[in-house]
Amino acid sequence: MTKPSIFLPKQAQIINVRQNSESEKHFTLRFADGKKIHFEPGQILEVSLFGFGEIPIGIASSPTRQHSFDIVVRGIGRVSKAINKLNKGDSLYIRGPYGNGFKLDKIRNHPVLIVAGGLGVCPTRSLIQYILDRRSEFKHFTLFYGACHPSQQLFRDDLSDWRKNNDIELLEIVDRPDCDWQGYVGVITDLFDKTQVDKDTRVIVCGPPIMFKFVIQKLDQLGIAHENIFVDLERRMKCAIGKCGHCQINHKYVCTDGPVFSVKDLEDLPEAF
Amino acid sequence: MGFYCISSKNFPAFIDELIHQQSVIAPQLVQSKPYNPSSSEFFSFSLLKKASNLRLDYDTTILPPKKVFFPPQQVLLSFKNGEFQAVLDLYETILFGVHPYDLLAIEQTDFLFSDKYEDIHYTAQRQLTTIIGSNIQRSAEHSFFSSMNANVKPSTHDGFITKIADTYIYEVLTGKAGNLLKYGQFTDASQQQIDLAVKENERVKSKSHLNYSADEIKQGLEKSYADLELWEQLAKSCYACGSCNTSCPTCYCFNIEDKWHIDQISGERTRYWDSCMTEDFAKISLGPGKSGEAQTENFRPTTGARMRHRLMRKMVYLNDKLGTQACVGCGRCATSCTADIADPVNIINTVMEKYHD
Ligand SMILES: Cc1cc2nc3c(=O)[nH]c(=O)nc-3n(C[C@H](O)[C@H](O)[C@H](O)COP(=O)(O)OP(=O)(O)OC[C@H]3O[C@@H](n4cnc5c(N)ncnc54)[C@H](O)[C@@H]3O)c2cc1C
Ligand code: SF4
Ligand code: SF4
Ligand code: FES
Repeated sequence: MTKPSIFLPKQAQIINVRQNSESEKHFTLRFADGKKIHFEPGQILEVSLFGFGEIPIGIASSPTRQHSFDIVVRGIGRVSKAINKLNKGDSLYIRGPYGNGFKLDKIRNHPVLIVAGGLGVCPTRSLIQYILDRRSEFKHFTLFYGACHPSQQLFRDDLSDWRKNNDIELLEIVDRPDCDWQGYVGVITDLFDKTQVDKDTRVIVCGPPIMFKFVIQKLDQLGIAHENIFVDLERRMKCAIGKCGHCQINHKYVCTDGPVFSVKDLEDLPEAF
Repeated sequence: MGFYCISSKNFPAFIDELIHQQSVIAPQLVQSKPYNPSSSEFFSFSLLKKASNLRLDYDTTILPPKKVFFPPQQVLLSFKNGEFQAVLDLYETILFGVHPYDLLAIEQTDFLFSDKYEDIHYTAQRQLTTIIGSNIQRSAEHSFFSSMNANVKPSTHDGFITKIADTYIYEVLTGKAGNLLKYGQFTDASQQQIDLAVKENERVKSKSHLNYSADEIKQGLEKSYADLELWEQLAKSCYACGSCNTSCPTCYCFNIEDKWHIDQISGERTRYWDSCMTEDFAKISLGPGKSGEAQTENFRPTTGARMRHRLMRKMVYLNDKLGTQACVGCGRCATSCTADIADPVNIINTVMEKYHD
């Protein structure tokens, strides 16, 4: 046989599981052969469970933390629900990493704002950890985090650390508060009125498709150039290697040309938003 | 590597000997064709049992020959109790009698399946296949290959057969094709015969034509992009069946699914042909919304948006990557469309009427 099949995954052991919220599970993984995974924040994996299928998932931990890697899976369908039934000691099967990352070279030495809505905080956690681990390489660092309800906030342990950490300005908002909620109430774009965003800021936007338009409108009002705004796009994916055609946006492929695009790059891709 | 000739009388014995030596996949008549009563003859590339079944006078086949390396269903991996392995179901074969437009299409899929990430499930079977092209003796009803890819000549095949009068001229392009010479009574072709073969191939023209150059079509389609209403009009009666994709030699989109065997401990990960014209092709699940109901987003929700995408893929999006258009003008999509709306010639003419300056 010539080369190995590009569809052949590697076995990874689940070394820790946390129930992040009702439908999300946070898995910490390590390859069964002990090898490390080399990736950039923002890249994706194809994660599978034999007999159920394979789905694209962003890496939720930073490459600066090499002992293991994290993913967070929301159980919404056939594959993701099956994955979320797994426990510590079980195996998942991984291909990747694929795609490009959050363009570290373009955001280093600038103020950084991450706008994360819902599950969008998962892939950006990779970048958040990276920035915190290499804090001196970046200027002022702000995180906007929006969720529907406090019970749907992900990474509770991280959040309580980040709230105390002076290296990160964290602003949290929910649609519907509960009686213990101390953050803001409203939609994520309301947070732009609560703090200063420097014009030189590099902005990363990650969340449900409807969020993008509103966030970009706000950033336009602040005069932030489109080449300095990066969005993390989601599309149906079956291969992650630029062949199956499912993730195509006009002539670009989210799996190989993205998932991170600058808003400038999307200007000639009318299918993007 | 040279031109050889074999008489019509000796040709069947050559084919029978090939069948004896290896599996041969070639165009043959398929009998019943209920869905299109207007045409009586339909052909298919399938395993050849005897020389007399070979129909080199075919107009085109229902499905393109891509199915030899990229089958409608292909097992990629098998698994059992946590063990798993790649599956390569390979066989040596001769793909015989491929028309030039399909040779161009194979050249495209060869490139696309090797580009950046080589997909050995395609390339390994491709390497075991000897491809012998053949001249078009009659053109298919909806064909427009004479208007497509004028500047590209197919080059990935191994040999090419041209019928002139009662002789076949066999052009040998690779060692693989040369190896077949020993199975038939070939002699060297004369310069006159070679010239006749070239003329015969130049003579054949498609039934249908486009009146615009590749660049004009690209510009026209790009301009029409914002006019979704026009595309919705063109796709109004589309059933979203995807036949225009499955019959296309340059369509290569796929889906991957896992299936258990009946024992519930083993199974397979299989890829299937997929179609960008079907409703769910670009649909994603978003999980439960605020009131708990499952939410989805479809990035190409209408037949018009999907037909526009198919045409953009054939005439615009891949042009830079391939150096040519991703349509070879075989006309199969037009023949396979029950709603009779898939013909690129009609679509392009309508678009160009409005957007050609
Ligand atoms: C770049 C990228 C990063 C992602 N990161 C995460 C993450 O970190 N955590 C997480 O929980 N989810 C993530 N997703 C979404 C996740 O891939 C889908 O939730 C998942 O594919 C749903 O599969 P299913 O079989 O459970 O659902 P079903 O509804 O049964 O879906 C059937 C098939 O459709 C496709 N599909 C359906 N929804 C999506 C979707 N939203 N995105 C892509 N393909 C889809 C898949 O091929 C799937 O197998 C990401 C998606 C993309 C494209
Ligand atoms: S254009 Fe015709 S063949 Fe294509 S999906 Fe629509 S009805 Fe089917
Ligand atoms: S788009 Fe239609 S005419 Fe063009 S190659 Fe595909 S099937 Fe043939
Ligand atoms: S996921 Fe298959 S082409 Fe991008």
